[in-house]
Amino acid sequence: MSLEQPRPTDVGETVDGTVDYDALEELLGDTVVGREEHVNAPAFVIRPDEVQTALFALRDEAGFDYCSCVTAQEYEDRYETIYHLKKYDDPTQEVGVVVPTARDAPLSQTAEPVYRTADWHEREAYDLVGIQYEGHPDLRRILLPEAWQGHPLGLDYNPEKPQIVPYRKHANPLQPDHRGEGPESDTMFINIGPHHPATHGVLHVKTVLDGEQIADVEPDIGYLHRCEEQMCQQGTYRHQIMPYPDRWDYVSAGILNEWAYARAAEDLADIEVPEYAQVIRTMSAELCRICSHMLALGTFALDVFGDFTAVFQYAFRDREVVQDILEDLTGQRLMFNYLRLGGVAWDLPEPREEFFEKTRDFLDGLPQKTQEYHNLITSNEIFQLRCVGTGELPPEVAKQYGATGPVARGSGVDIDLRRDDPYGYYEELDWDVITEDGCDNYSRVLVRMREVEESAKIIEQCIDLLEDWPEDERTIQANVPRTLKPASDTEIYRGVEAAKGELGIYMRSDGTDKPARFKIRSPCFCNLHTLREMTQGEYVPDMIASLGSLDIVLGEVDR
Amino acid sequence: MNGGGIVAQSSTPLPDTISDILGLGGLGPAGEFIAALIGAALVGTLMLTMTAIAGPWAKRKITAAFTDRIAVNRVGPFGLLIIVADAVRLLSKELIVPEGVDRPAWDLAPIVLAGSALLGFAVIPMGSGIHLADPEVGLVYVFAVASIASVGLVMAGYASNNKYSLLGGLRAVAQNLTYEIPLVLIAASVVLFAGSLQMSEIVAAQSEALFTIGGLTIPAWYAFVNPFAFVLFLVANLMEVGRNPFDIPEAPTEIVAGYQTEYSSVYFVLVYLGEFLHVFLGAAIVTTVFLGGPAGPVLPGIVWFIIKIWAIFLLTQWARSALPRLRIDQLIEIGWKGMLMLAFANLVLTAVIVGVIA
Repeated sequence: MSLEQPRPTDVGETVDGTVDYDALEELLGDTVVGREEHVNAPAFVIRPDEVQTALFALRDEAGFDYCSCVTAQEYEDRYETIYHLKKYDDPTQEVGVVVPTARDAPLSQTAEPVYRTADWHEREAYDLVGIQYEGHPDLRRILLPEAWQGHPLGLDYNPEKPQIVPYRKHANPLQPDHRGEGPESDTMFINIGPHHPATHGVLHVKTVLDGEQIADVEPDIGYLHRCEEQMCQQGTYRHQIMPYPDRWDYVSAGILNEWAYARAAEDLADIEVPEYAQVIRTMSAELCRICSHMLALGTFALDVFGDFTAVFQYAFRDREVVQDILEDLTGQRLMFNYLRLGGVAWDLPEPREEFFEKTRDFLDGLPQKTQEYHNLITSNEIFQLRCVGTGELPPEVAKQYGATGPVARGSGVDIDLRRDDPYGYYEELDWDVITEDGCDNYSRVLVRMREVEESAKIIEQCIDLLEDWPEDERTIQANVPRTLKPASDTEIYRGVEAAKGELGIYMRSDGTDKPARFKIRSPCFCNLHTLREMTQGEYVPDMIASLGSLDIVLGEVDR
Repeated sequence: MNGGGIVAQSSTPLPDTISDILGLGGLGPAGEFIAALIGAALVGTLMLTMTAIAGPWAKRKITAAFTDRIAVNRVGPFGLLIIVADAVRLLSKELIVPEGVDRPAWDLAPIVLAGSALLGFAVIPMGSGIHLADPEVGLVYVFAVASIASVGLVMAGYASNNKYSLLGGLRAVAQNLTYEIPLVLIAASVVLFAGSLQMSEIVAAQSEALFTIGGLTIPAWYAFVNPFAFVLFLVANLMEVGRNPFDIPEAPTEIVAGYQTEYSSVYFVLVYLGEFLHVFLGAAIVTTVFLGGPAGPVLPGIVWFIIKIWAIFLLTQWARSALPRLRIDQLIEIGWKGMLMLAFANLVLTAVIVGVIA
């Protein structure tokens, strides 16, 4: 914070950009009933009937405009909802808001009026844990089927109990529909998905059409819910959790996901990662990002161009090279499982020169390929006609929905955890955060394309570093005990910048070698929530394009 | 070298030639009918063969070449036997009739789609004496039957009892209205040049020399005489055959497959066949009206004709591999505000120029 640019300091923000939690406690007044220390930041315990008062104060006066994640969990004596709040301007300024509710009547005030993103998060909390949110506009199950019995992450849930699937008669597809504005409206309800060529997985978009225009959309998710959180809760910190992150965002963003878990667990257990391993992590993660963005570009082109055209194949052709490099490095093409707590699984493949040369060849050829994409895609007039000004997401709305990653940056929100909350080796390297102010589908594509170039810059610097690294200092793993048992009741929420945005992990330990609660904050989940805002009044093709520009992976949305 | 000699022979329609060869002249109207039937079967077979090559094989190979792939190469030489394999596969599939479809319309639509395109070839002069009929209003006829396909699309879309199909059918109508008027207007400008609606006359008018450079005679193909109209017609034709960037009624990523969503097995084959026949019919119209029909040096007329329509087919595949799809409202805007204005301007200018010269 330089003196030349004085910005209105938020309540509780000190001059050097940290949070004064005592000032915050004063701000929150008598809504606070206690204070907890989490590893990432202190948290205030708030009365369940004063949630909105507290959150409004934190948002409007203390500047916590980013509700990163909502975690719900059940204790022996109570239910608890934790709102992990951050600031878009400086995500290192964090605060937790813990809302305990009684076990016999878990009722807590909703945060939806304060943060729109809480809508889906609270639905998930209700669905999986069973907390009721008073005043929530639409408290239905989100991941599990409507008729599901019980809440799977609750303590008394019985997984053996058979679930009842009700039979519903097939509705007449041509029945009159008045879901548009007013009872006179003559709209058409159409199911786009779960089996549809453009939904990038099993997504079901309940769409109400007024002619060709969208009157309303509602993404229906959960088809790919695989109890990832529960599976992680049954795995040991040291070895058994690491393979799962690969399966969240499975389109080659594996190492980025692994890093999210690695970072959270290392901070939880206080493990220091050797610098050499950090460089390898940074390099491999950026390779993954290129892979992921190439796929996003190819599939977006598929959505807009309308067929498996040249663009899609070109993107896959170039992605294949990166995939080969990653295969050389990790031995895997899809589920890398390369990171370990305290480092990486193994060193670069021998002969190292060959690996460096292969990577450099790719990086050298990249500018030409990017130019080809620009010629073929972004400078195409029809493409611009289709993408400029469609699927608009104003920055204020993006913040309300907790959008991150290229979706937020395409709306001009300058947030990137690699720079704002540095981890790995990013701080030492020279690269830029890309933002575009268009707020439309076109901007989001441009952001991804330009981020590929930035990633290439990072990889190049990492390669330079690795080439000159003295042979006797190549420590790939820190000395981590065989069994990790973090102290009981330590809690942490940590995020990394994955390909789609902030991928955060919340963990609470209970003194054993397995986490008592493992919560995944999925960037796709939050980004998908914005679809409705983007598509009001747009045409069907633009809705498909917007969906493509969000670059969601259903494995990560549904977990 | 302008192939004038090839055009001259088309004055004898194919049925008469067949009648002469087989000696059917004595049978009166019955003989004429039999001769016409044989002629139609020959032309139909030629077109269906080309479609069979184009659909399962050539399209894949061409797209693969555009997109850095290899495509079919396992069944037979260059994967050519995939044509047989695909035919068997498609025909042996179960014909699924969804609940609540409007039966006669739903069954008729694929036949209308494929049939309307085949009808158009009746008046196309293909060179080497292959010309089924040469009515004085040939050009009007070919546009008329080609647009019957739109009726087929609406039937398919409406009768399928599927919302995606319905949207596709509606889009097909909107698109049809948009391109049909510019298409006919541009063709009318050619009629002004040729002074006739008869296909053979239009081809004959293009056999004259436009100019000669260093011993090379450039024929007066209307693509050279009026390149502006040619380009406009190509675009309108691309809309007519519904290929990218104008494949809006199908729009695989948006409305699944539009009007053809519910068709399977033989019906799907017919719909698909109709589409490819339509592409070829569009190419045949472009060839006849703008590229001198079957005219060309050395090779026989039919070979030139086939080369030309495959070139146009290649163009549609190129567009398919490289261009993004327009939105329906954008298409309508382009059609009504752009294409129609340009088509009228072209017509008026041509009329003035022809009037001054004549």
